[in-house]
Amino acid sequence: MDVAIIDYYANHGKSFLHKAKAFWKIVFTALVISSIILSNEFYMLLGIYISLVTVAVWTRLPVSRIITIAAYPAIFALIFAIAIWNGSWLRAGVIILKALAAALTMVLLIVTTPYPDVFNVIRPIMPRIIAEGLFVTYRSVFILLELTDELIKSLKVRGGITRRKYLRNIRNFSSGIGLLLVKGFDFSEKFYGMMNVRGYGGKISGQNTNMGMNRNDILAILIGFLIFGITIGTIYTKELLQLSTYVLLCSSLALVSSFIYKQFVI
Amino acid sequence: MSHLHIPDGILPGWLIMAGWLLTALILAFSIYRTKSTELKRKIPLIGIISALMIVCMTIPIVPIAYHINLSVIAGIILGPALAFISIFIVDLIIAMFGHGGITVVGLNTVVVGAEAFIGFYLFQLFMAIIGRDSIMWSSGLAAVIALIISTSILVGVVYTSHINPEFVIGIEGGHPGELTKNADIPNELIRGINIKSFAKTILVLLGIGWLLEGIITAFVIKYVSRVRPDLILPQRA
Repeated sequence: MDVAIIDYYANHGKSFLHKAKAFWKIVFTALVISSIILSNEFYMLLGIYISLVTVAVWTRLPVSRIITIAAYPAIFALIFAIAIWNGSWLRAGVIILKALAAALTMVLLIVTTPYPDVFNVIRPIMPRIIAEGLFVTYRSVFILLELTDELIKSLKVRGGITRRKYLRNIRNFSSGIGLLLVKGFDFSEKFYGMMNVRGYGGKISGQNTNMGMNRNDILAILIGFLIFGITIGTIYTKELLQLSTYVLLCSSLALVSSFIYKQFVI
Repeated sequence: MSHLHIPDGILPGWLIMAGWLLTALILAFSIYRTKSTELKRKIPLIGIISALMIVCMTIPIVPIAYHINLSVIAGIILGPALAFISIFIVDLIIAMFGHGGITVVGLNTVVVGAEAFIGFYLFQLFMAIIGRDSIMWSSGLAAVIALIISTSILVGVVYTSHINPEFVIGIEGGHPGELTKNADIPNELIRGINIKSFAKTILVLLGIGWLLEGIITAFVIKYVSRVRPDLILPQRA
């Protein structure tokens, strides 16, 4: 489970994306996701994906880890691609690239933005129960992760999970989930009670509440608009479509130079 | 696992919008229905059930591309209205991990929400028919049937997206044509989704998953009913 690592990355990073405000990063994410939705061109999508990997390099976080986290949906996209397979590798590639690129965009947002900041941006458009539910769920995931560690240790120590005894393993594992639910509920209830005692009234304090832009926000937005602009250009202008291979080439060059810079200069 | 792991940009816009609209309507109704419930009690419960679903959903059983949902457990413990809210929260958060497209959160919520809704009422029905001593069978059976139905809804959603590919991705004329008049959409993509091969793959792969989730649901509910019977709705009532 990568939630704890993601949270650590979001809170301890020092890149331009970490310093940019959550609102502008959400705008960046929306622009890139829109580009991925609109484009059905394999090379263009590959170019977008490589550009996103380049941005991941710029975050100064472990790139391979970020790519791995974002590669999870590819398992399911692969199944989807197989399910609708008609002999075209290009079509399968488009589906898998869409999944990978969209996932990487979302992961880039959450590894550079603490969850409460993201929730704070979307809170005004959410009913109170959902906004609070989001926050308490986020907190509960960490409670559960701690409890899961303890549970797995105790299951192993007491022989709760043994080889070739599948039904017994499932039964013990399920009882473990039940235990997590009951214990987690008690913890969550206490946590929510304490928050209320401390004056919590449904509002989560965020760090960046003003919408003013700094250079980090501008850079994030610029990258978003660049990707979106090129995508729209290739969709509406046939001549520009031929440029998608150049887009791929440029993004690859940017990636290689970013890696070299990261390796030898930073 | 019955929700859509379809990436952004594969399903037509009107279907995605319909999913969001339906989710918004059901959410509004669910919030209205649960207004009388004490907030202090329901928020921690929503939080922990949602967190448990997130933890389980992010562990794939790779050979069959399945992950357990626990949506029927959510339905049984929270009731259909709160479970729907919880499922929306889960879908929104896991979409941030790139687990399924962000644009299909609406459709995902409808499909998984249906699972919780059907699971809850089937559980109640089986408890009434088989008796309260058979909580394991009632919950397990309710989970398997709810999963079969929700997966059928999933296949239906994908089929609906295939009804008229020309209109959907705008190959000829009309407003959608504006969008793609110069776009070089691969011919293969225009042909759309082969619903038979899609349904076959999904149903064959997920059969094992339904059984697994049914067994897990049965044992979890049995455990909770022993330790904290007040958390299981019918008994609380």
